[in-house]
Amino acid sequence: MIAIQTGDVDIGTLITAAKKKGTGAVVVFDGIVRDDEITEMELEAYEEVAVKELEKIGRDATAQFKLLHVDIIHRIGRLTVGENILIIVVSAGHREEAYAGSRYIIEEIKKGVPIWKKELTKDGGRWVPGDHAHGSGKPR
Amino acid sequence: MQWHDRNKKPREEDEMTVKIRFFARFRELLGTDIVTDVAPGTMFTSLIMTIAQKNPAGYAAIFDDKGTFHEFVILMKNGKRIEIADAAKTPVVDGDEIAVFPPVAGG
Repeated sequence: MIAIQTGDVDIGTLITAAKKKGTGAVVVFDGIVRDDEITEMELEAYEEVAVKELEKIGRDATAQFKLLHVDIIHRIGRLTVGENILIIVVSAGHREEAYAGSRYIIEEIKKGVPIWKKELTKDGGRWVPGDHAHGSGKPR
Repeated sequence: MQWHDRNKKPREEDEMTVKIRFFARFRELLGTDIVTDVAPGTMFTSLIMTIAQKNPAGYAAIFDDKGTFHEFVILMKNGKRIEIADAAKTPVVDGDEIAVFPPVAGG
């Protein structure tokens, strides 16, 4: 399942579904709204493009790390402290591939998928600078 | 001659309509889903410059003093990234979706 959505997901259900034949390891990454003295977080995406890029990242990770299953669910809209932002569930035959595949997916998302976060505070809000704050519009 | 519903006026045969989408901070300053008519031969950069000039803060967020896109700005045409250096010579055509946004911060 690859999705950008406002609603949360049941991670337990995803883990169960990820246990495909041959699975020896499931790795779950759960990115959460951290309490950085904020009231809420507002997330925004260029949805049509972001979904396609998430799908490509999932395909690339599957091929590169021999993954058996990939879920990437990125939430948008207004979220409160402690809520899930991004859930990545991968399964593989062995832990090395599962860990590496999960890590690859999150790092690729941070590099270029068009999603933005705004931290809302008592005094207003601030857009979160990306980890890769050098756009220059270079093709992926 | 076609009728262009949005403007309630006759649409010239050579008129083209494109959609401009700004995101995040740029959206806050300039709005988004801006549908506009453009003349044939209009280039990506000049189109965005025209739209951005409606709000000085929005313009300053996207362009530098020399009228060049800030290095961090990301440009897309129909979902594909284009380089800043190519934008000035990239024409927009009828039905194009143009996107301009700041560095991403998902995850």
